[in-house]
Amino acid sequence: MTKEKNILKKYPILGLILFGAVLALVPPLAEAGVLKNGYITTIGGTLIYAIAALGLNILLGWSGLISLGTAGFMGLASYISAYLTIDLELPFEAAFILAVLIPTLLGILVGLVSLKIEGLYLAIATLAVSEVLRKTFEELVPFTGGFSGKSADYPTLLGVFELDRTTTYYFIVAILVIVMILTYNMMNGKLGRALNAMRGSEAAAQAMGVNLLTHRLIAFALATVFASIAGVLYVHFIKFSYPSTWILKLSLDFLAIIIIGGLRSIYGTVLGAFIVFAVPDLFLKQIPYFENLSYVLNGLLIIVVIIFYPNGLVGIGYDIKKFFRKLRKGGKKDE
Amino acid sequence: MSKMENRVLSVEGLSIAFGGLKAVDNLSFDIKEKEIFGLIGPNGAGKTTVFNCITQFYKPNTGEILFKGHGDQVTELTTKPVHDIIKLGLVRTFQNVELIRELSIIDNVLIGGHIDFKANTFSQALRLPKARKEEKQYREEAEKILENLGILDRKDMLVGGQPYGILKKVEMARTLMARPKLIILDEPAAGLNDSETLELAKLIKKIRDEFNCAILLVEHDMRLVMDICDRICAINFGKLLTIGTPKEIQQNPAVQSAYLGVE
Repeated sequence: MTKEKNILKKYPILGLILFGAVLALVPPLAEAGVLKNGYITTIGGTLIYAIAALGLNILLGWSGLISLGTAGFMGLASYISAYLTIDLELPFEAAFILAVLIPTLLGILVGLVSLKIEGLYLAIATLAVSEVLRKTFEELVPFTGGFSGKSADYPTLLGVFELDRTTTYYFIVAILVIVMILTYNMMNGKLGRALNAMRGSEAAAQAMGVNLLTHRLIAFALATVFASIAGVLYVHFIKFSYPSTWILKLSLDFLAIIIIGGLRSIYGTVLGAFIVFAVPDLFLKQIPYFENLSYVLNGLLIIVVIIFYPNGLVGIGYDIKKFFRKLRKGGKKDE
Repeated sequence: MSKMENRVLSVEGLSIAFGGLKAVDNLSFDIKEKEIFGLIGPNGAGKTTVFNCITQFYKPNTGEILFKGHGDQVTELTTKPVHDIIKLGLVRTFQNVELIRELSIIDNVLIGGHIDFKANTFSQALRLPKARKEEKQYREEAEKILENLGILDRKDMLVGGQPYGILKKVEMARTLMARPKLIILDEPAAGLNDSETLELAKLIKKIRDEFNCAILLVEHDMRLVMDICDRICAINFGKLLTIGTPKEIQQNPAVQSAYLGVE
């Protein structure tokens, strides 16, 4: 047991890949009847949200910059990808690249603004960008379909491999693991340290040679890239994009994910996504008489988590370990 | 430039005003190579402002600040953005210790090596061999510095919760990562007790000798300043009072009246 743990500590990438393998067990388990079939959609959707939340974690957790615009950027990417694959019949890969590139350029512009404004003001500015985008989704009917939304198909990879719901789920898991690995590598190296320094003290960061402008732009670019990737996956997995999806509530959900899961924690982000998106659907709705109150229960759960785990639910693992160690010690005393 | 012979820093006619207040007024001094140079003055004399002008956190209104950095290259600092100063070989510490609480001690030290990392974000994200090698190389260097300062055993501990004396050392280690030619210490003895201050004095001398750099000390603690400085520059109300050895400074009537008031 301890040996296994050491291996995971030595090769953290291996842990992330194993984590992906566990997530990939969902469809076979659903097929075997252990899990409900609908779980694939719920969990797949949760993993998509986790990707966007990971981007927000880089921005808020590591860099200390707030954004309430995640939903807008994610939505923008979803519409672009749907438009390019359905209306222009571009291959999925080309649509993917463009649907990530365009929102990212916009995100970098917001990053430029962030040099001048901070804290709550930055939150309001990003919220404004997101609301402008949402309004555009409603009004730009030829491009977005207005209120009736825009539909898309499961992705076709390399023009040959037509994915279905299950294989798209695997695709999502693969992308999530890649994004987690890239985040791990970046945040545990020079870039992560520079972003940390920027959050801790701008003066010290500058004195150490960290260019604030470049690093704020990098943080915003990464956050938008991740949100856009999530947007593309969303529209090709859920197969629909409505303006009513990309609202402030979703951006706040992302905020809740990283605060519940743990700022600056990669696994915590995924855990937070499960608490915010999957738990109400998978568990709380099963409680009799509570179907319609599941989100109220979820709200209560979030409050409880924040009270007991202010540094994120990811700290629960440590507590469980401590508990078991205590139990073992207690047992020895009895002997 | 013969003016910079044996000099690492030369400040000439430095002035900066905030609104109507002249915080620094036509100040000139220079620092020799491997010298421990003190900058003293009563509260509000403009010490920190001088400091911030040299490190380009403030842009002075007038004046010339020449610095002889790596490769004996002489640079006019006022033309440089604040984040490029460290690249020339000039590093500072902060009065209130500006470290990142959530990072381990060694990661904090590695931030001092930020400018040395050549691998770009892309090769870091993919953990290409080049980036990995670089990370390992600088990590070893950081460990060497921590060992030299006697805090290697704490390298993996978080900075948050460490005693103040340790934090000062970590900040010092962070500046040393950049292999500086000149370190500017902003009130390093603030918040230290007597024995810690004594240890600090030894540490500063050790750094000067082993890392071959000059040190500019902005300090309130007179005993520390008189104890370790080769030369001292005393200022008051932004103006130069005198420059001299600790003994000369102690006997200077202008300095005495600035600190003790005129009879």
